[in-house]
Amino acid sequence: MSMTLGRRKGRPVRSKTANRARSKENRAAGLFLLPAFIGFAVFYLYPTGRGIWISLTDWNLLSDPKYVGADNYVEVATDPLFWNALKVTAYFVFITLGVQVGVALLLAAIMVRLTGSVVVRALLLVPWLVPNVTIGLIWLWMLDANLGFVNHLMGKAGSDTHGFFASPDEALLSVSAVNVWAGTGYVALLLYAGMLQIPGELYESASLDGAGEIRMFFTITLPLLRPILALVMVVSVIGSFQIFDTIAVTTKGGPVDATRVAYYYIYQEAFTHFRMGYAAAMALCLVVVLGGLTYLQMRLLRASTSDLA
Amino acid sequence: MSRSGIRRSLRSPAVRTSAVVASVVLVAAGCGSSGSSGGGGGGSVKLKYSLWDDNQLPQYKKCAEAFHAKNPKITVEVTQTAWAQYWQNLTTQVVSGTAPDVFTDSVLYFPQFQKNNQILDLTPYIQRDAVDLQQYQANLADVWTRDGKRYGLPKDWGTMGVAYNKEMAQRAQLTPQALDAWTWNPVDGGDFGRAVAAMTVDENGRTGLEPGFDKNKVKTYGLAIAYEGGAVGQDSWGSFAVSNGFQYVDKNPFGTKYNYTDPKLTQTLDWFAGLIKKGYMPAYDKQSTVGADGLLQSGKAAMTIAGSWMAKTYTADGKVAFAGMPTGPTGRKTPINGLSDAVYANGKHKEEAWQWVKFLASTECQDIVAAEAVVFPAITTSSAKAEAAQLAAGRDMRVFTQPVATPGQTFVLPVTDQGDRILDIVQSAVDRVWLGQSDAKSALGQANSDVNALLKK
Amino acid sequence: MSTSIQARPSAQAASAKPAAGETGHRSPRRRFGLGRALAWLVLGVSLLITLFPFYWMLRTALTDGNHLYSDSTSLWPEHFTFANFKRVLGLASDEESRAAGGSGADLDFLLYTRNSIIYTTAIVVGQTLSCAMAGYALARLRFRGREFAFAVVVGALMVPPIFTLLPNFVMVKDLGMLNSFAGMVAPTLLMTPFTVFFLRQFFMSIPREIEEAAMLDGAGHWRIFWRVVLPMSKGPILTIALTTAVWAWKDYLWPLLVGNEPDNRVLTTGIGVFLQQSPNARPDWTGLMAASTLSVVPMLILLVVFGRRIVNGLNFTGLK
Repeated sequence: MSMTLGRRKGRPVRSKTANRARSKENRAAGLFLLPAFIGFAVFYLYPTGRGIWISLTDWNLLSDPKYVGADNYVEVATDPLFWNALKVTAYFVFITLGVQVGVALLLAAIMVRLTGSVVVRALLLVPWLVPNVTIGLIWLWMLDANLGFVNHLMGKAGSDTHGFFASPDEALLSVSAVNVWAGTGYVALLLYAGMLQIPGELYESASLDGAGEIRMFFTITLPLLRPILALVMVVSVIGSFQIFDTIAVTTKGGPVDATRVAYYYIYQEAFTHFRMGYAAAMALCLVVVLGGLTYLQMRLLRASTSDLA
Repeated sequence: MSRSGIRRSLRSPAVRTSAVVASVVLVAAGCGSSGSSGGGGGGSVKLKYSLWDDNQLPQYKKCAEAFHAKNPKITVEVTQTAWAQYWQNLTTQVVSGTAPDVFTDSVLYFPQFQKNNQILDLTPYIQRDAVDLQQYQANLADVWTRDGKRYGLPKDWGTMGVAYNKEMAQRAQLTPQALDAWTWNPVDGGDFGRAVAAMTVDENGRTGLEPGFDKNKVKTYGLAIAYEGGAVGQDSWGSFAVSNGFQYVDKNPFGTKYNYTDPKLTQTLDWFAGLIKKGYMPAYDKQSTVGADGLLQSGKAAMTIAGSWMAKTYTADGKVAFAGMPTGPTGRKTPINGLSDAVYANGKHKEEAWQWVKFLASTECQDIVAAEAVVFPAITTSSAKAEAAQLAAGRDMRVFTQPVATPGQTFVLPVTDQGDRILDIVQSAVDRVWLGQSDAKSALGQANSDVNALLKK
Repeated sequence: MSTSIQARPSAQAASAKPAAGETGHRSPRRRFGLGRALAWLVLGVSLLITLFPFYWMLRTALTDGNHLYSDSTSLWPEHFTFANFKRVLGLASDEESRAAGGSGADLDFLLYTRNSIIYTTAIVVGQTLSCAMAGYALARLRFRGREFAFAVVVGALMVPPIFTLLPNFVMVKDLGMLNSFAGMVAPTLLMTPFTVFFLRQFFMSIPREIEEAAMLDGAGHWRIFWRVVLPMSKGPILTIALTTAVWAWKDYLWPLLVGNEPDNRVLTTGIGVFLQQSPNARPDWTGLMAASTLSVVPMLILLVVFGRRIVNGLNFTGLK
């Protein structure tokens, strides 16, 4: 991926630049890059190596780390809670992504056809501006089993009380719904922007041919939106894999591990049980999983971009 | 302060033997030679003290003021962090070497700080300053010892009782006397089980005892307990299981083996799970964030198990009264649990920190705490004052103090290593029981072996 | 993430023209039909669902805590009070707080807001500047290893934050910067791969002629960057700065780990902490909702001031 980018864009044009100017440019580049390079070396590069080392130790931060070889990885492989965490995370990502992108597509399509009002779009964006902690709290309160407004409404409609965050069957769905609520407006706006780039003439001629809105959506909008859609998917998958804040304030991984997603489990092992080695090993395994996923998605993405050309 | 303390301790023959130890400590603390009460250079010292209970913040701020008045060179800054963050916060601070000089300690976390040498062994200080350990409520002080070393002085204690809605009890024709004399067993529930059923009311006005009671449309639950009882069930199943003959660990403190598969416990848990099934307790998967006290306040529940430290909160609106824990097959039982103040081992001002801990564990501060009538201070004389203050505020605390005065009615919660991981494991297993996913025996089987495997490590 | 996609948003950024203008010709005038009515309905309901929870937050915040449980379902705060806001802002004494049904905990909202502002500002200023410089070098300067450096940026883009979280925590601890602003901002102060990437893509799209003209006037790279490139790039830089600000403001996990002293606790962690005061005690809902309401205000101000910029900027910041 990076290779492609480099080759396509970056080939320096060899001109009449004198050697002196070149070395001057080298120096300037060094200066320009220095701050970012420091940030990269200290907080990306070095931690990567260190993380691998930590994952080979038994360490609670208070005593000295003890080298244990691959023990942590053996434990990860046989830890039912880790596999459960992966499963729960995958389930969460799948639901969140599916619903979010579906609803966002609908909203974006409606906005493109009805209104481009900045006010409407800004209002849809409000949840995205609010910290997930606050959002988690608001919904924890709204979805409370006894005093929550949602149960009150559902009760009026004749439904039974729902535990939402308290129920093992509903907790993950509830967390998912909250994240969909918080992120859909944002995704809708991204898709909306993508839809604006589709030439209007396509619709006009299709319209003249007597195509309806729904057919135009499926024959014009969706196919031409594919690259943006793929991009949004990648972003959303990576984003929802990192689900932590909402869980931390609503379910804390419960009930009975129903929402103990990978991030939360790693966090707990590292910072409540202070098992740094084990947590680092899990993080590394998660990176491998994520890497695989990203690779798959990139392939998907590249396939789509060729479509666009 | 510290000088007079030295003089006093030297006069006492009992501690003369420890004078050598004490002087070593004093030199190490850097105030033996200068003779000033401040540390290091003799300037003023600022101590950090942290606690989690917002209800107790005002009284400890008052203690800090009183302490400062006596020791003008030492200022104590009290910070409160909510329970949900307190321990993680504290551990981060410990790890980074920036923990508060003194912090409130709980039996759940004490072993891990002790094991990693993060809290100070107070034994030499206690001997030097001749702190009278007999002044504290029995059982409270020794929880904080390991291998003959003492890591904290007790500050308060609490026992459990049953909080009930007075009006609902009356409607169920239960007198306070009857409630206080009640029995319980895991087979038919005894008086307590009947009271729970009688106070449960469905939307048609039928109680849990009446035929035609609709368990799916319950208006008021007879009982609500904290389902997050962790590894001990302090405010839920703990007292009941122990009154049924259950013992958590082989020895306490620092047992090596938990007994979570004991039928005495599993019977108890199954009995509670039965209440959920019958509609007498709120379903686990429909529990509310408002907790048992919120349910009682909103009239959604008639009874709950509550600690003495919550009495002020519960009785605020006058609707709730307290009864003692029901008498089980082996008698009436309640956990007695207290907190202590620990000194951070890597703090800069250990001597001053000790002075503050000593003050916190003294009558002077504990009387201040007593006056606020929230918790029972650890010192028995201060505790009596707290009871009087509670009574003056309209709260009869006898149900909480009587078990303490009666031999055999209180027990101490288990203190073991790996407390926080054990909590997670057991909570998960018990959750499955509450959910009806599994009976207690099979749910706790795996948990018990996991827990005991952890203790062997 | 191929070049063709990036080129387009960048070009749009360069023109910095609100995309909303394009919509006029996009919506054909149509008769009012059932379909359109339905579409308006969907949009309306979506807006309602989006905004109602915020109303409920406000309504709870304006309710007397002692009556919260007795009238938990009325649409209007029946026991109207400002006490919760006063409490959160530290304007009420401990006794008043308790009388209003709240906890006596120190909810030092103003301090946490100040901390959030410091945290956000430091990251936005540092990161934007440092990444703009790096992005400029990667886009415009010819130096050895440029392709490799850019490949590294793209590679770092793929590293999930959880992986560097633990080692970074350990490092911040080793540096003695736990519970300090320095430790909190350190990992993101100088760069995030995305910001470098984004700004590099943008700088690529600036016509070279302008720089060359400046170069002929004898200006060095440093001067060109400050005097020519930055002023030309106000729009996209503002957009990326706003996006960074939103992320920093919402950040929770990292501040939770490294910023726990009251002096540097930010709003997100400050509010999270107030959820549970003591074990098994109920949350102080009215206070929490008042604090939540106030914590939303700065973001609303941002939205009102920069609304158009944020909303229209999303089409290219969406790469994040």
